[in-house]
Amino acid sequence: MAVEMIMPKVDMDQETGTVVEWLKTEGQQVTEGEIILVIETDKIAIDVESPGTGILQGISAQPGDVIPIGTVIAYILEEGEELPEGAVKTQAAQASSAPAAQHLEESSRVQATPVAKKMAESHNIDLLTVPATGKGGKVTKKDVQAAIELEKPETSAGDLIASPAARRTARIKGVDLSLVRGTGPGGRIQASDVESFQPLIGTPTAVGVKSGESIPLIGMRRTIAERMTASYQTIPHVQFTVSVDMTKFIQVREDYNKLALERGDGKISVTALLVKLVAMTLSNHPMLNSSLVGDNIVLHQDINIGVAVALEKGLIVPVIKNAAKKGIRAIADETNDLVTRARSDQLSSTDVKGGTFTITNLGPFGIEQFNAIINSPEAAILAVGATQQEVRALPDKAIAIRPVMRFTLSADHRIIDGSVAARFVADLKETLENPILMNY
Amino acid sequence: MREISYLEAVREAMTQEMERDPRVFLIGEDIGEYGGAFQVSYGMLEEFGHERILDTPITELGLTGAATGAALIGMRPIAEIMFMDFTTLASEQLVNQAAKLRYMFGGQSTVPMVLRTPAGSGTGAAEHHSQSFENWFVHVPGLKVAMPSTPYDAKGLLISSIRDNNPVVFIEHKLLYKTKGEVPEEPYEIPLGQADIKREGKDLTIIATAIMVKKSQEAAEQLAQEGIDVEIVDPRTLRPLDTETIVNSVKKTGKVLIVHEAVKTGGFGGELAGVIAESEAFGYLEAPILRLAGREVPIPYNRNLERAAVPQVEDIIEKARQLATLKV
Repeated sequence: MAVEMIMPKVDMDQETGTVVEWLKTEGQQVTEGEIILVIETDKIAIDVESPGTGILQGISAQPGDVIPIGTVIAYILEEGEELPEGAVKTQAAQASSAPAAQHLEESSRVQATPVAKKMAESHNIDLLTVPATGKGGKVTKKDVQAAIELEKPETSAGDLIASPAARRTARIKGVDLSLVRGTGPGGRIQASDVESFQPLIGTPTAVGVKSGESIPLIGMRRTIAERMTASYQTIPHVQFTVSVDMTKFIQVREDYNKLALERGDGKISVTALLVKLVAMTLSNHPMLNSSLVGDNIVLHQDINIGVAVALEKGLIVPVIKNAAKKGIRAIADETNDLVTRARSDQLSSTDVKGGTFTITNLGPFGIEQFNAIINSPEAAILAVGATQQEVRALPDKAIAIRPVMRFTLSADHRIIDGSVAARFVADLKETLENPILMNY
Repeated sequence: MREISYLEAVREAMTQEMERDPRVFLIGEDIGEYGGAFQVSYGMLEEFGHERILDTPITELGLTGAATGAALIGMRPIAEIMFMDFTTLASEQLVNQAAKLRYMFGGQSTVPMVLRTPAGSGTGAAEHHSQSFENWFVHVPGLKVAMPSTPYDAKGLLISSIRDNNPVVFIEHKLLYKTKGEVPEEPYEIPLGQADIKREGKDLTIIATAIMVKKSQEAAEQLAQEGIDVEIVDPRTLRPLDTETIVNSVKKTGKVLIVHEAVKTGGFGGELAGVIAESEAFGYLEAPILRLAGREVPIPYNRNLERAAVPQVEDIIEKARQLATLKV
């Protein structure tokens, strides 16, 4: 029997998966459990195991193809076995209606009770597919009911089912229901599940964690762990550090903030100004604003800058979209809004999607310089250190004390050569030291 | 305390009120000479005479209209409709006149009448003599609806209904007429709008009306042997409704099963479910609010089908068990 290989669902809210790479090719022998495919969701890349042992045939999805979950993308066949009919999507679509008509005729010949027939009709159940348990092989009402139950979509893991009492208890106790295992019907969380929930073990938070305890790797922490590992293990990182004299940057920011004060607007944060300057520099370096997807390097049209925000339980990267095209005022407002909402756990999924480049700033902790791990599938990430007063030799050999910040770019070395990255870093340094260049 | 039947409790309430208040009289079909289709008014003609026990022709609309008019000029009539099925005929006077007049005249007149009527199936009386129409009247502002489940409640609620200055639809269940219970000899009132907890329990709440209270009590005894501790709340009056007792019980148990004989769709269970869902009890619910009620059919003549058409003890046990063990 041909074993169907489908696009799997690995994320709670996943609707499609992108084929990244087939590790086996058409006609090759595969073993059940062997990793034969790499796919990617919008959050994560994941290895897919072969669902059977045999020969890989009928691959209908190529690297880069975005496929709805559950779609058959290949078959595992036994020696000498033919591909099932309609194995390739395009063929199925073109199939004539003749077999359908024939099928209808067969259906009407199935022995079934009148109630069963009626039920099957109103639920669009094909009587041919219903196992019959009635007398003389008749399909009964019970059989059709069973078939209807089977057709019902399983509750998706993304739907949180909890009794009102459980929700109320969770609200009072401050328990995150997504971490609680439900014991009710269909996994419904009951109040007793919330009562017996151990928050110290369940909540991966640095706050209140006692040494000696073990914290399960779940939720956001698991996502972070998987993505960091995948990125660090699959992307060869190359790093470049540059120290930047921030004198003019600080001056420009002060000027902006004077203006903002006069107009009664919110402050322009360091982050906002960095986002703007990085975005402007990126517009001249398309390779740094790209992704390696399958066999293609996709150069993104939009420059969407993600800003890493540290949270108690992990971190999240809201995205400022089209940053190169937006004015500093708009970026400042958007950044303030996103960071505020990130800290109060109110970001929507669109707020964190579509990033093409990430900035991470540990300057506030006094970190002089650090290397960040690329936020895959982006091509690079910029790590921002603390501003420090340093003694600098000026071009005229004079000595001065200047505010200096160190920036480290981590780039995907598969697609970004050292010189390409270095040119970007040099340009960025120049823009940061002369912010007026951003509008030049 | 002495025990009397539900039927006797109703008769005693009427008799005592007629002795106490000369404005109270009885009007209906076959209530005098014949003593009532269920013998509720048996012997009352001899005691009170034709002036106060009025036999009428077969005209539900006419007798209800006469009662409404008498109430308007200061009498306190008790009208009997032989079967609740025929309140449909009486409903114009009841719904459009009796229920409205106090409001329309700005309180200058009142309609202190009671419309008594037996409801429910179980006697093999088929489609036209077995229905439960309580919710038709619950839906009408200006009417009160009482539905006693025990002899004690029947007497106390009927006395309150007679003394109330508004029209009260007083629904008696045919199968309860012969049931017995402790009833004080002296007159007493049970306030309209006060539910009664018929059985205290902690695992789930059954809200039941009329005969379903009795069936739920039987179910609860069996469930107790399985370790399921059922609380039974009897609203006693559907309008006004004692929401506080209901909400408190649901808050205590977190699970609620509503049982009534009337057809589920459009039945009082929907109203109860709505009241609970809108209240603070919502946050205490551990499972969906369940209803067990009459099937979507006319009451059939065939005894087996008649039995299957309305909830029975075993149905209540099964549903309550599912709810208590969180299988739903």
